[in-house]
Amino acid sequence: MALSDIAEQLDQADPSLARYNRQMLWAPIGIEGQKKLKAAKVLLVGCGALGTVLGNLLARAGVGQLTIVDRDFIEITNLQRQVLFDHDDIEQNLPKSVAAQKKIARINPEVSVEAVVTDVNHSNIEQLAAGKDLLLDGTDNFETRFLINDVSIKHNIPWIYGACISAMGLAMNVLPGETPCLRCIFETMPPPGMNPTCDTAGVLGPTVSVVSSWQAMEAMKLLTGNRADLSPFLFSFDMWDNRFQQLNVKRAREVADCPCCKHRQFEYLSGKFASATTSLCGRNAVQISLGTSTRVAFEQVAANLRNVGKASFNKFMLKCPIVEGEGERRREYELTLFADGRAIIKGTNEAGIARALYSKYVGA
Amino acid sequence: MTNVLYFDNAATSWPKPPAVGQRMAAFLDSEAANPGRAGHRMAVGAEKMIDAVRKQLTDFVGGTDHHRLVFAMNGTDALNIAMKGLLRHGDHVITTTLEHNSVSRPLVAMAEAGFIELTRVGFSSDSGVIDPEDIRRALRPNTRLVAVTHGSNVLGTVQPIAAVGHMLRQINNGRTRFLVDGAQTLGVVPIHVQTDAIDILAFPGHKSLLGPTGTGGLYVNTGVTLDELSAFREGGTGGDSSSPTMPRLFPYFLEGGTPNTVGIAGLGAAVEFVVAHGPEKTLAHERAMVQAIIDRLADNPKVTIYGPKSAANRVGTLSLNIEGYTPQEAGGILDESFSIAVRPGLHCSPYAHQALGTFPDGTVRVSPGHFNTNEELNVLLNALAEMAD
Repeated sequence: MALSDIAEQLDQADPSLARYNRQMLWAPIGIEGQKKLKAAKVLLVGCGALGTVLGNLLARAGVGQLTIVDRDFIEITNLQRQVLFDHDDIEQNLPKSVAAQKKIARINPEVSVEAVVTDVNHSNIEQLAAGKDLLLDGTDNFETRFLINDVSIKHNIPWIYGACISAMGLAMNVLPGETPCLRCIFETMPPPGMNPTCDTAGVLGPTVSVVSSWQAMEAMKLLTGNRADLSPFLFSFDMWDNRFQQLNVKRAREVADCPCCKHRQFEYLSGKFASATTSLCGRNAVQISLGTSTRVAFEQVAANLRNVGKASFNKFMLKCPIVEGEGERRREYELTLFADGRAIIKGTNEAGIARALYSKYVGA
Repeated sequence: MTNVLYFDNAATSWPKPPAVGQRMAAFLDSEAANPGRAGHRMAVGAEKMIDAVRKQLTDFVGGTDHHRLVFAMNGTDALNIAMKGLLRHGDHVITTTLEHNSVSRPLVAMAEAGFIELTRVGFSSDSGVIDPEDIRRALRPNTRLVAVTHGSNVLGTVQPIAAVGHMLRQINNGRTRFLVDGAQTLGVVPIHVQTDAIDILAFPGHKSLLGPTGTGGLYVNTGVTLDELSAFREGGTGGDSSSPTMPRLFPYFLEGGTPNTVGIAGLGAAVEFVVAHGPEKTLAHERAMVQAIIDRLADNPKVTIYGPKSAANRVGTLSLNIEGYTPQEAGGILDESFSIAVRPGLHCSPYAHQALGTFPDGTVRVSPGHFNTNEELNVLLNALAEMAD
């Protein structure tokens, strides 16, 4: 279709679509694609760095229904990269998903946003994903990603993986039955503490934007029915070192004896590999026990935590004080990590907070 | 899990005698009908099995009427049946600061609701034992119940229940009922409801009786009449179905719902094992292990041992703390670095920990049991010594 034809059609189109003019001018989307976006239902798991960019782009693009799930509240250190939030949200002490909902309502009131303040886990993710056309990864940990992956494969809902740290990023489409799934690529979780996290090694705003913009673009292709144009690659980059790669992972699906997409064993969704949290008898502490066996290198974790707090360790365990927030929102925690990856988080009785701290400062 | 050195027998004993699992599997595979007094032969068979285990347990606690042995889901359930069945509005109750939440929480809830008045007597932190005189002084004309644990689940110390029982009989025979929580003792320390002057004995099946979880019971001694009790759990009884309310007949009055037949079959095998082996031998074995821990660690400045520095009046339970580690961390290290299972925390007994000054973090509780070997004990001793080095 010639551009002039599109422009003519747009003139006659539903006036509620006017705001999408520049997007509909792109022929592969057009009016039909825009209508498909309006009809689309998307689950956004996590509303931090990746999640806010995704929410922002997809709301502006006109995705009809967004369900945004996150259990966290906004902190001052989020504002450097979490584009939907500002100082007013911190003042009001809003949960991230609620603040995102309010902001999106001002950006594009035609988008229906459901804000869910919860810790995504194996008991609630199927309900959250039910009826969705796409699941988007805005998480910061492997366990939740494997959970999304299980739900995706089990219920045949595509998802888009995204991860970043410092200036490096990774992203990939997972189309059940067509592409490799996340467990074809990474069969198991990395040992806790092996890799730095955004909270121990930092992350730059542009890194976040690139990963989530890639995810958002793929989401738009998928939701507008342009599946043939979807990236079959694992996108990988380091923008500080000027390295961009498109890894061909097509064969991974045939090569890997994948427990998830080949054998349909949903080990994270069933809870088998889920980490367990126990509110410890005693004071204000939660124990996190991993669902898979692993070994932690205390030296590595202590090095990762050098900018967080003074970590000390002996042959039995590692201890590190963690302070979050400022002023009235200042909270003091203590992390005790054992060699099998289990941890005791002192300073909270809430499993969700303990899990979030583990993901942020130990990482898995 | 078989490489775990299990020192958490005060929570539940493990392993169980092989006959327990075998009996349960056999019963489940070939006999597990719903018992009933008027039914087909399998139902009658299941009822007979339950009846036989009732008799076994009644004999074991010195009871005289096995219909007064009521099965329950666990110790907590048995205690609830007893306390909620017995207490009426305006009653006064005396209990101790050693009690487990299974005694304490129902009583505190009733007291907070204004249903009963509650007095709690303390214990000596040196001996870990209550003084029956404290109970005597707390008695009031409306004292309906004295509820005392036989063995502290934090300190392992054995309480003078016979002295309390006889004192109550002497003072106000029948007006004040004496409830004993045998959770930590039945199966190792002798309990005799007649000679100890106990009105109601509540117990779990899965601790020192070495039975499966999901079992427990209470023995309601012959002095206590059905008129004194109300049914805490009401429902089907497998007989007397025409009666619009629970049949006024022991044990059925207190036993609503399909019983845990498979578990009770296992409990029968467990009690057989306990009787055949001799509880006194197990007690001596557990005491020797606790004494060995005390002997090895009592002089270590980094270790605090709570309660008496002798195992003579203990069951196989000992609480300690190691400097530099919270109880939760010490428990984590024992599990992670040494594959030793112990139980850190408050052990569901917050008042005891308050009295010991170990609230709210608690202690590390080490509880050897029937099947622990000296090799296992040595690994434990070395691990504790290494941590306290």
